Amino acid sequence: MNIIEVKNLNLFYGKFQALKDISIDIKMNKITALIGPSGCGKSTFLRCLNRMNDLINGVKIKGDVIIDGKNIYKDRIDIVELRKNVGMIFQKSNPFPMSIFDNVAYGPRINGIRDKKQLEEIVENTLRKAALWEEVKDDLKKSGMSLSGGQQQRLCIARALAVEPKIILMDEPASALDPISTTKIEDLIFELKKNYTIVIVTHNMQQAARVSDETALFYMGELIEFNETKKLFTAPENEKTEAYISGKFG
Amino acid sequence: MQEHFNAEIESLKNNLIKMASIVDEQVERVIEALETGKVELCQGVKSRDLEVDAYDNLIQAQCENILALFQPFAADLRFIISAMMINNQLERCGDIAVNIAKRVKKTANNYPLIVEAQINEMGKQARKMLKDAINSYIYNDSQLAETVMKEDEIVDQFNKQAFKFLVSKMQSNPELIEPCSHLIVMTKHIERLADHATNIAEDLVFYVEAKIISHKKKLQKLEKDQPEDDN
Repeated sequence: MNIIEVKNLNLFYGKFQALKDISIDIKMNKITALIGPSGCGKSTFLRCLNRMNDLINGVKIKGDVIIDGKNIYKDRIDIVELRKNVGMIFQKSNPFPMSIFDNVAYGPRINGIRDKKQLEEIVENTLRKAALWEEVKDDLKKSGMSLSGGQQQRLCIARALAVEPKIILMDEPASALDPISTTKIEDLIFELKKNYTIVIVTHNMQQAARVSDETALFYMGELIEFNETKKLFTAPENEKTEAYISGKFG
Repeated sequence: MQEHFNAEIESLKNNLIKMASIVDEQVERVIEALETGKVELCQGVKSRDLEVDAYDNLIQAQCENILALFQPFAADLRFIISAMMINNQLERCGDIAVNIAKRVKKTANNYPLIVEAQINEMGKQARKMLKDAINSYIYNDSQLAETVMKEDEIVDQFNKQAFKFLVSKMQSNPELIEPCSHLIVMTKHIERLADHATNIAEDLVFYVEAKIISHKKKLQKLEKDQPEDDN
């Protein structure tokens, strides 16, 4: 079942067209990887899925992005509600300068949850989901900024999960991490798939091959191939895909 | 990086071609010995097998290094996988050539039997298949590979006929039991040689066309024979 349907999406930064007529269906509870060389439009595309590009001056977007049946660019929608449903994890972990507890409780509090016991439950459950609970449970008052890079990224994932999104967008979530932290993030992504739909931008093709169910290759703003990951990395249908994944360009 | 990778791939393919040419020569010699009865042609087949074994190890290590260091995808990945499989097939062909050579020596005095049982023709066909399979690999020629696969049936037919003929000879003349037994073993080796040539052709098709066609016939037959589950 498709949770995201993108139809003929075009995006312009002023006169420059960064996305050209992209149509793609993203399946529920699957991991979809977006790959392609720098500047190909994959992060721009990802940011379209929760209207993060709205904040950039001169951006013009045409086409449809339908999430859970709602056209997020045409229907009257609440942006805060959209971003609650479609969480985002960035390349560089960005914990708030506050305690681990408060980082995770931040979203639920904004959404009106004040009960201490309920917040404690949410924080514990979410930190468990983010595979961080065992490492931080003894000192939740510690600053989120004092954690290691990998732990900070998992804290950010926990913060995103705390508001119970359906979809999580990840923009190179492990590119600044060491191999062990990367493995933990990848294991976590795989675990999260049971309950969430994940769209991940990655420069690391091995990572895309390891974690995702489907992969989309972008090149110069165009969607070159969207295929089952196994197929795309073993017998791609498009010559450009073959050349890109074999390191012949990009 | 791409240049470095290309150089590794080229070196791997060169080594496989060198290995294939040694195996081809081994097989050529034993089959010629079989066809002509000139046992002396078998000389050197066994010693060359050591070279084949050395290439086997070298190619195995090269493939392992490329996989570990470059983590190739798609056609590059299939190239390495097919190289590993073809390496294995060629190494087995080298061993078979040595085994055929042994039987050729043991049946040197029974040349008429070899001709009557058409083992010489069978050997010629298997040798052609191996040569074509190697050429299909060298030139990435999947059409030639398809031809090799089709010809496996011919060798299988030769094998069945030879077996029948040799058993009837043994039944009619107990003195022929020993030479006929050697010849039956020999035909088994030749039949295996054709199988390995077929496998090489299949591996080439896997590389070029990204299709797995090994065991296709058997699996299709199994599917056909098994009644569909009504539940």
